[in-house]
Amino acid sequence: MTPLGKNEALDRHALVMACWLAAAMPAAILFEYGFGRGGSPYILAGFAAILAGFVAHVIVNVVYGTGFSPRELGLGLVIYGLALVLFVVLSLVSASFAAHNFLPLSIGFITTGAVVVFYLITRYGARQAFEAFDVIRDFRSDDRDSKRSPGDHR
Amino acid sequence: MTPLLVSVLGIVAVLGLYLATISGRHTQQPADFVDAGLALPPWVIIFAGAGITLASLNLPDHLLLLSTFGLQYNQVAVGLICVALCAAITQKRVWLAARLTSLRTLGDLLGDYFGSTTLRIYMLFVLFLFSIPFAAMCLSQVGALVSAATVNDVPAGLAIWSIAFVLFLCSVIGGWRGIAYLVAAQSLLVLALMIFFGGFTGFTLDKLAFAANGIGTASGVLPDKIPGVIQFSAGIGKELPAGGLWTTFAGLTFALSLGGIAISPGFSFLGVTSAPRRGLAFSQVWMIAGLAAGALILIGPVLAAEIAASGSLTAFTTRLATLDPMVAVGFTVLLVASGQIAVAFFAGSGASVCTIELTSRYIIPGMDQRSARFATRVTLALVYGAVAAVASYAPLSATIFSSLTLSLSMQLLPAVLGLCWVRWISRSGVLAGLIVGSLCVVFTESFGLVLFERLFVDLPWGRWPLSVHSAGWGLVTNFSACLLVSLFTRSGAERDRRDRLHDAFEESQPARNGSQAAITAKWTLTLLWAFFALGPGAILGNTFFSEPIFAGAVVAPGVPSLLIWQVLFWFVGVVIVWWLAYQGHLSVIDERPRHRIVLVPDVNPLFEPVTTPWIARLLDRVTGR
Repeated sequence: MTPLGKNEALDRHALVMACWLAAAMPAAILFEYGFGRGGSPYILAGFAAILAGFVAHVIVNVVYGTGFSPRELGLGLVIYGLALVLFVVLSLVSASFAAHNFLPLSIGFITTGAVVVFYLITRYGARQAFEAFDVIRDFRSDDRDSKRSPGDHR
Repeated sequence: MTPLLVSVLGIVAVLGLYLATISGRHTQQPADFVDAGLALPPWVIIFAGAGITLASLNLPDHLLLLSTFGLQYNQVAVGLICVALCAAITQKRVWLAARLTSLRTLGDLLGDYFGSTTLRIYMLFVLFLFSIPFAAMCLSQVGALVSAATVNDVPAGLAIWSIAFVLFLCSVIGGWRGIAYLVAAQSLLVLALMIFFGGFTGFTLDKLAFAANGIGTASGVLPDKIPGVIQFSAGIGKELPAGGLWTTFAGLTFALSLGGIAISPGFSFLGVTSAPRRGLAFSQVWMIAGLAAGALILIGPVLAAEIAASGSLTAFTTRLATLDPMVAVGFTVLLVASGQIAVAFFAGSGASVCTIELTSRYIIPGMDQRSARFATRVTLALVYGAVAAVASYAPLSATIFSSLTLSLSMQLLPAVLGLCWVRWISRSGVLAGLIVGSLCVVFTESFGLVLFERLFVDLPWGRWPLSVHSAGWGLVTNFSACLLVSLFTRSGAERDRRDRLHDAFEESQPARNGSQAAITAKWTLTLLWAFFALGPGAILGNTFFSEPIFAGAVVAPGVPSLLIWQVLFWFVGVVIVWWLAYQGHLSVIDERPRHRIVLVPDVNPLFEPVTTPWIARLLDRVTGR
């Protein structure tokens, strides 16, 4: 992977934003309608729209010969985590919400996670995909680095 | 619904400002503000091309006309393939000519190639029509849509000025690159929402009006048939054609006027400032001819039938709001975004082209890069101010003026064909054609008719006489005059200059036409397609699939025969554009030209006055007496 030039990085970023805008609007309509009159099929369709945005993002990465940037990864994880927490809290607080939406939302969250894991494994292989999230190993290596004295190049 | 709609439009506006800010911050040189360093990425032209085409057709107007006239008006959607064809024939050569001559706009290219100041003035006039009346018409429609959707909680005037201000901010911060990003992103949004609403209405509405009763047009209008090949009526305002306005000739000539989008100053500037290899071909084949035309042909009738069943666009939006307010908001955003594309693109490209062709050439020659950027910003402010003022206070005038825009832009076709392919088309021919063609356009459109009839006497014809669109009248007379005059002046004094460019074309990227048989096949097939898809042959589509000629019986295919005909010829049209653009290499750029040519030495008419020959002759006759 060669690093992108200034203009290319800008072009890629704008394209990613455009893709997510086009996916997010239908997804928002589908979720809103699904939580109201539409029911499960529309909630699942909303997740499908989000996955379409993810696939478009992957295609953009392939076209520009890049991967996800750390900011994109961070933002994605934060949004996914927040949505998951919101879903759990709402399911605990509101019985009617849980009764109507628990199953489609669970399926949606699991599928989204599975698609991301599938992408990581096919892109990086199982070992590298795991190492990317292996925080304990990172801490250990930090610990080892701090014990090592300056100038010790063993 | 008002807070939700305002919030969603606000989010889209914030995204536009974000894109503008990052592109403004990454600008490497001040001159990049005007032309994006001639390096817009291919995806911009891929998405923006389709979005601009849809926006130029005016999506809310298109849906309303479809609900008024039924499937006979759907011929216009098939006509989008004409935009792709026109772009395939001209866009690559214009790009190549710009790179060979280091000129950046179509006006400069035509002006230098033909050595004509008149052509430059004409181009600036067309640019003005696109940048102010056309953009104002779209903006006033956007204001009306927002006002209707919010039950006047947001008045039309407030919506118009707010949207104009946000788009101005995006343009003035991001420059041409920022505008292009914004237009491309909104184009993708419009395409996605268009496809989404096609499916969504199918699944959610209890009984689709299109499947149940077809498009409920007014009495006397044929909902699923073309009302004849041509009708010998005096025209709109004098006598209405029986069965509806959209005869095959009306459809064909309207489709020809749509070609004016592809050779408009703004669209060609977008092509020239991009750095595509296969981007042009992809945009023309898959996005304009494929996705945009397909979405309109297939989804347009479904939405139009619902609008007709509901009574109006506002009533349909209210009906969607009963499903869920967010659904109505989504539909309004679809229509508003298509209007915003037109405003942002035509106002933004107008300011850039005006700076290059007018300000830096004639008003302040030799401007440095910073001054050029400042001039563009001032022009942007003036253009957006004018657009918002006209949209607020004179929407009718904007509509009347904008009806001329596409037809007058299409009158440039002989000149652009001369620049790109036909070296013997001369300046005199082009100018004669332009004068005759433009007069025909003006006097078959409401602007000329109203003006003439108020000042002088009533004319015996109305708008679009014989159900032929003004662009059709203009093009027939334009081409006749141009070819006739060019025959006698083809080897005039300026022939050397024309040859220089065409020789450079042959050196850098020669046309790959293949064998003589392949050339004949290509263009014969294209003409046959035009005859059957849009021309007189389209009348066969009325009953071709419901009353097959050889079966001798009536069959029920489930959808109107005309719609099947249109879908069939849409497929064939996409194949033809693909063949021309990719296989014929009309739109594939193999490599950048390595050398430069100079068409004319740089002369500033303010300091070294050059009188156009026909003006000089006229003056000579007057002063000589």
